[in-house]
Amino acid sequence: MSMAAAAKGIQQAPSTKINRMSHRYTLLRPVCAAIYACFLLHTAGAQSTLVTGRVTDASTGEVLVGVSVFCPEYNKRTATDAYGLYKLSLPEGPDSLTVVFRYISYDEGSVRLAPASKVKADFRLLPAGQELKEVVIQGNSDIEDKKNSVQMSVTTLSMREAKALPALFGEVDLIKILQLKPGIIPGPEGTSGLFVRGGNSDQNLIQLDNNIIYNPNHLFGFFSTFNPDATEDVTVYKGGFPAQYGGRLSSVIDVRMREGNKDKIRTTGGLGLISSRLTIDGPIQKGKHSFLISGRRTYADLITNAINQANRNNPNYSPIPGYYFYDLNGKLDFSLGPKDRLSIGGYHGRDVFTFKDINFDIDFNWGNTATYARWTHLFSDKLSVNSGVYYSRYQYTILNTLDGFFFRAGSDIRDVSLKTDFLYVPNARHTFRWGATATHHQFGVARLKAGSTDGAVSFSAGQDFTSMEYGLYAGDEWKALPRLTLNYGLRLSGWTNSPATFVRTEPRLSGVYQLSADWSAKASYARMFQYAHLLASSGLSLPTDLWYPSTSGIRPQSSDQVAAGLSYLHNKKYLFTLEAWYKKLGNQVDLIDGAEIFSTPNLETQLAIGQGYAFSPLELEIEKKSGKLTGWIGYTLAWVRRGDFPDIDSGNYFPPRFDTRHNASIVGIYELNRRWQLTGTFVYTSGYASWLPQGRFSLFDIPGAPPQTVVPIYGPRNTFRYPAYMRLDLGAVYRFTAFNTQNDLTLSIYNATGRRNPYFIFLEPTFQQVQTGNQVIKTPVGIAARQVSLFPALPSITWNFKF
Amino acid sequence: MYARYLSFISLMAALLILSACNLSKTVDIELPEYAPQPVVECYLEPGKPFRLLLTRSYAFFDPLGLDSTFLEKLFLDGATVNISYNGDTVSLPNVVSIEPNPIKVFNYTANRIVPPTPGIEYTLNIVLPNGQQINSSAIMLPKVRWDSIVIERSPSDTGLYRCLAYMTDDTTLVNYYRRIFSINRLDTVPEQDFLVDDRLNETGVFAFGSAYQLKYRYEAFNTIVHLSKAHADFIESVQLAVAGNSNPFQQPSPIKGNVRGSANPIGIFTPLVYDRRRTIVDLE
Repeated sequence: MSMAAAAKGIQQAPSTKINRMSHRYTLLRPVCAAIYACFLLHTAGAQSTLVTGRVTDASTGEVLVGVSVFCPEYNKRTATDAYGLYKLSLPEGPDSLTVVFRYISYDEGSVRLAPASKVKADFRLLPAGQELKEVVIQGNSDIEDKKNSVQMSVTTLSMREAKALPALFGEVDLIKILQLKPGIIPGPEGTSGLFVRGGNSDQNLIQLDNNIIYNPNHLFGFFSTFNPDATEDVTVYKGGFPAQYGGRLSSVIDVRMREGNKDKIRTTGGLGLISSRLTIDGPIQKGKHSFLISGRRTYADLITNAINQANRNNPNYSPIPGYYFYDLNGKLDFSLGPKDRLSIGGYHGRDVFTFKDINFDIDFNWGNTATYARWTHLFSDKLSVNSGVYYSRYQYTILNTLDGFFFRAGSDIRDVSLKTDFLYVPNARHTFRWGATATHHQFGVARLKAGSTDGAVSFSAGQDFTSMEYGLYAGDEWKALPRLTLNYGLRLSGWTNSPATFVRTEPRLSGVYQLSADWSAKASYARMFQYAHLLASSGLSLPTDLWYPSTSGIRPQSSDQVAAGLSYLHNKKYLFTLEAWYKKLGNQVDLIDGAEIFSTPNLETQLAIGQGYAFSPLELEIEKKSGKLTGWIGYTLAWVRRGDFPDIDSGNYFPPRFDTRHNASIVGIYELNRRWQLTGTFVYTSGYASWLPQGRFSLFDIPGAPPQTVVPIYGPRNTFRYPAYMRLDLGAVYRFTAFNTQNDLTLSIYNATGRRNPYFIFLEPTFQQVQTGNQVIKTPVGIAARQVSLFPALPSITWNFKF
Repeated sequence: MYARYLSFISLMAALLILSACNLSKTVDIELPEYAPQPVVECYLEPGKPFRLLLTRSYAFFDPLGLDSTFLEKLFLDGATVNISYNGDTVSLPNVVSIEPNPIKVFNYTANRIVPPTPGIEYTLNIVLPNGQQINSSAIMLPKVRWDSIVIERSPSDTGLYRCLAYMTDDTTLVNYYRRIFSINRLDTVPEQDFLVDDRLNETGVFAFGSAYQLKYRYEAFNTIVHLSKAHADFIESVQLAVAGNSNPFQQPSPIKGNVRGSANPIGIFTPLVYDRRRTIVDLE
């Protein structure tokens, strides 16, 4: 075939060769598939064909990540990367071939190509259900890809899925939905804590557009920092970490911000019980450059301020503390030609707490700021590079002033990073990745200044550290045999905090063997090191938790994780993933009992170093992503232990708080019709470990200090188990159009059964009324256990709009 | 002090949610087995007799029994108690003594008075009726004194006053203090009761203040206790144990005492030196 003929054939393809999986709804969809394909033929008669290109959303121009790109003639497939790019290597074959593009919630598209040595095919997919058509989530391809992929222990969740599910107070939260995935243990009720495969909550590398976010929580973990309107999706790696990731032990949580619409201005937003959101995005130059700006703010403080103001003249009134949080996201995308792309983005969020009475005038705020600029360049169809500069800061400040005296405390961590990542696909058998990263960390740890404003009284504390973290990695995904694919790599990581220097090697290896068309077997091993440690004064997420560097006395944490599993695709609809894993943890950092982190000149004297391990013989997930009913079922059986801390429990091993034996979840999304979508989640977690007192004594104390009848005596840590946690959430989404605006009303009932789940248990005296003469005296007679629950059945409604 | 300050702030913030949604109920739980331990409280207060309180602890769910026999059941009697210093030994017979205002009770009391000399080392030896032993030691601390107590009227003309107490610290040593501030009575829960040390102090001056909460003719009791490190650790652990039981954000702590021995005791053996000033608000 000549080049001209090939080009002609290709040019005919886009508008006429569109396949749709769901024939039932084909006629309901507009024909305007808006497919664009551009092909370049370089040489004829080559030994093989390399098809490359970018896949974008036909309506917005946003790049699509994880799109399945499939050639049925050769049963070859690949997926688009984080920039929507793909490469598909095909052997020499028939005169024409078909490339099929499949993506969840999008119409399937395909194009016929003429064989050539290199073909460039950009593609634009049309979202399914656009213009309020009946939405059928129809992509089977991603679970097929997941079964076949060499990457194990990974899960991806799109914002489309997340928005459909019921949420606490109607606040959609990607992180909380991740808690429903197997291998991930949630924090306490309602919070966004993630404990991945026996790791602590600080052992998650949480990134927003590759930029680290140190504290992903608002309001003590009840909400995450990721504004749903500004978020595209999240991918979580629980094990088998590729070599490009490092710096944390237990997981990588990779959140991507949305890109702006390249074709038209678009406004999305929502009003909820807790917060409101507004996002505007659109083209800077149509078809080429785009912007996105998004904001979210809570408004409970507006009400409490009004109440306080109304009672300002009431001397007996105790003011209500004021609290709010906000998030701002922004992103600019520039297409600088066919081979260059520039992205500039940022995030800024704050929690603000104020309280004023006769004893306090407190201003307490905390939050993250993160910005970046990233450049992507295609050297050729085989080689590309992605480089960027990143800035991230987390800080909190507490200020209390009272006539003539003040108290100021705070901590922060500031990073400036340079990263570069290369991707090289020389042929169909190898995909090489290599790159480097260097991060300059500045730690301001437990800074404190207090005293009188005249300087006569002065206290100060705090430590500053400057550290450098390095990473150098290389890896290859190698199709070693027709049925065997390996991903091997090595990461060299380093850390300097004068005078300490650490250099560590982190081997990574994973493999998949296709047992049959439906079965695959996988295994992986990963060693990870963590150089920055979070010192948490409780098992919960507090904004005052401190980040502390590795030093001569506090060595890097380490983990070694091995995992093995089977994947089974049933009837091309249900993917069964079964994994078992073991993780060994070294140099774990914990606070000693009664640690003082703000009044000690050397914080390291308050730290204990120990070990840990976790294992699961069964981590099961069953996923269904096509048809009217979609969702997943997850189950994990696991054990977690920490120990060898010389100053904690005499070095004995103990279960951490999040050691829960059984964890199960069921998530379902049902498309009832074109307007209604019904959703439900069910979660079961066997009891959290807890540290309760075993004995008590009476302290008579010194003169002037009253005796205490009951002083608890705590024995070994976490020997008590809370009752099991169980929760059913229900939701419904109603879609409608009004005034040329697409709307939906999302109704949720959190904890629909009203079950009182334990938040914490405390022990307190019980009293009895005793008649003494003419007086009735309340006398303590015994001790009872009281269980505190946070949330009864909580209905909520959120209005979302888009125009 | 500061960690507790931060914990308080965190707790205040968390109460925003808890107050809105708090649901609680009594539940039946089983705690791990607990073997009772002897509890020692011995404060060597210069100018006061050698006295010691020896009680026993209980499993958490044991009945409190706060009736007329409460102390009788609480006291651990029949032990042999000796305190030695400067080559001399004081025996504390099993005799109950009560100190009034505020009331303090002891069940082992000697007649001899504790000398005020700083630096003297005291050793404690207790032999329980079952032959088990309790041992400890402590060194007498120098007394500290308030430099001044100042009453200030609120500038906002509310008719309220605050009390400021100033103290100079010996910066050549690491010193631990307990600040107690009470209004009108010493036998109720103090307005302030916390620990502080001088490791972060840059000027050698401590200032402690109340809020604008005093009225005309109120009595302000300012107490500064010079603590041994063991005593400070003990109080800190008691406070954390109490807080950890009621505050989900607070990590509990085992009790850290300085009494050891085959009886597996808990408790404190320490000097007790303090300065307490009573100030009447008499500014017009």
